[in-house]
Amino acid sequence: MNVHAGLTGPFPRSEALVRATRDLDRGRTTPEAVEEVFDAAERDVVQLEARLRLDTVSAGYLRWPDLFRPIAETWEGFAVGPLARWFETNTFYRQPILYAPPVRVPGAIAARLPPALARDPARARVVLPGLHTFAGLLDNRAGEAAPALAHRLGRLLGDEVRELRGRGYRTFQFTDPLLAIRPPDGPTAEAVVAGYRAIADALEGGTSIVWTYGGDAGPAFPLLDRLPVSVVGVDLAETEPERIPERKGGPGLGLGIVDPRTTLAEDPTEVARVVREVHARRRPPVVWLGPGGPLDLLPYEPAARKLHALAAACEALGSGGRP
Amino acid sequence: MTDRPLFPAQEIGSLAKPRWQILGQRGEPLDERARAELRDDDARLGFGAELPDARAALLAGRSRELGGEAVRDLGALFALRLLESAGLARVYDGEARRIEMYEYPIRQMRGFRFQGHVRSFDNKYYLKAAAVDEVRLDRPYHVEEFDFVRRHARAEPKLPITGPYTLADWSYNEHYLARQPGWKGRAARRSAQREFVVDLARRAIRPTLAALIEHGCRVLQIDEPAAGTHPDEADLVVEGFNAATEGLDAEFSMHICYSDYRALLPALLEAKRCAQWAWEFANRDTDQHDGYEVLKALHEYGDRRTIGLGVVDVHRDPVESPARVAERILRATRYLGDPARVWVNPDCGLRTRSLPIARAKLAATVEGAALARASFENPRR
Repeated sequence: MNVHAGLTGPFPRSEALVRATRDLDRGRTTPEAVEEVFDAAERDVVQLEARLRLDTVSAGYLRWPDLFRPIAETWEGFAVGPLARWFETNTFYRQPILYAPPVRVPGAIAARLPPALARDPARARVVLPGLHTFAGLLDNRAGEAAPALAHRLGRLLGDEVRELRGRGYRTFQFTDPLLAIRPPDGPTAEAVVAGYRAIADALEGGTSIVWTYGGDAGPAFPLLDRLPVSVVGVDLAETEPERIPERKGGPGLGLGIVDPRTTLAEDPTEVARVVREVHARRRPPVVWLGPGGPLDLLPYEPAARKLHALAAACEALGSGGRP
Repeated sequence: MTDRPLFPAQEIGSLAKPRWQILGQRGEPLDERARAELRDDDARLGFGAELPDARAALLAGRSRELGGEAVRDLGALFALRLLESAGLARVYDGEARRIEMYEYPIRQMRGFRFQGHVRSFDNKYYLKAAAVDEVRLDRPYHVEEFDFVRRHARAEPKLPITGPYTLADWSYNEHYLARQPGWKGRAARRSAQREFVVDLARRAIRPTLAALIEHGCRVLQIDEPAAGTHPDEADLVVEGFNAATEGLDAEFSMHICYSDYRALLPALLEAKRCAQWAWEFANRDTDQHDGYEVLKALHEYGDRRTIGLGVVDVHRDPVESPARVAERILRATRYLGDPARVWVNPDCGLRTRSLPIARAKLAATVEGAALARASFENPRR
């Protein structure tokens, strides 16, 4: 079994960083002092990822307010809108407002990536909004029909990937929970496939991962299997393992094997059993393991325990197959 | 039937705390602005004469000597008189002693362990606990708080309390999930959550409600703001409500806000002892969208409970005119088919607004209700 593992979304801020950012909002500290705490916290996450021998490095995306903000704040045509609930969680994002055709601003995303990633881009996991989720959650006031917009965003993110490939980044995750929560059909589904194809065209040997969560991905597999990406990831807390169909071609499989909705740490032996069962049935060319959803639904310490459980599950699967 | 006039107004949640209470609770002497506000509030509402030592100590800069509890007493009395002076038929203390609705109840129970902070958005966080053992109640809570209100209230007291489903949803479920055999997928999570909600309801909320009723509380509002987060768990909301209120003799309502109510129906209607739905509507009522239309669904399902009708938006400063409030009440009445079923209130707690804005919104609520009432009493006007 060819197994890879890594974080699939933001890591929680440490209690020290929570205190520092709260103090900043209350005028009790300086932005410079908070930056130092951010730097230290990022170093901690990178060290944790290294210690657990994860295959990709994320540095936790601690500074990102939400998945969309780096784009909504920098690309032309966007504004940052009101708070909205992030699916069935008690976390919120600011809804991007698209008021004109979107225009990518070169360098803008690269400047927002955690600095630690730029030091080792070949091992970095760049996390970007998935097409269906991005097109589906923004407030579209630009007048473009939803399918055309999804395709256009795919082309723009393709350009982004091309730029980041030039900077040495190789692994790109598109976080697309809406694909499992509200799978598209008809022209929107075709536009999503076309959009991801535009991204694939820019990959030049890199790895693209579409990570879904928050819903049962079982019904979405006919579409997920058509996506021209390296890996599609599903959240095993929401998708019953036996509902993952046998593979008839299609990409590698990502399995969200630790659940950020509970502090209860997973049993690595049980996780390994489930992964083996799914692998035996589907026979994917590669398996990527990670948290089912963003670990920042947990506080820092329980999230760290979950990451240890992920690493232990990888060990239980036998590290011999890992690159 | 009671002899209450049509469209009685009621409190629904928390008020912002006055500056003098915040500084006083911290043991800090009042600054000039806080002293002026305390004098103004007292001149308007006359509560200071009921606790003259506390008022005098605060004005004299002796907050530390006075102590936090006495400051909170004064804050509670202030909120009570503010709500009464606005003309509300049911009142509480503006939740003057509370700072949130999750951590305090959880800290009155055993079986939980706080895990740390979770980011809500930007640099905003909340503390979250995990159920690591069976839930047990240390001692019923809100009882002293209610006793103070009962002793001082001139209008009928109505106590708000966080419901079992919300406490469970805002916690991590470790203990009950660990008891589930095999893979902890959707089915296992749901089953564990049901056990958690029902345990919270039976072992913590129900004894607390019973103690409050024992102390004379007759009207209780179960707050379930998390009900709309997972619409497919509406049956768990109901199960928790029914378990928490089983065998208790009082008037219960359920407050839910900022949710897709249709998605919770008809499951929610199985809440047996719920006499009133207290929901937010005004926030979603615009020129383009009828925020009250969902009431038709209740009518279609044959539900005949009263409604705590949110008629003013607590997230915007502009104060609704009484005419606008009256129009909303009359529209809702048409959908429900019976004016006697309509109580009026703000959408949710007014703590998000400044006290002057909150006062103005309460006044608009009461004046709007009077206008709506007049249209029934003098239909030709």
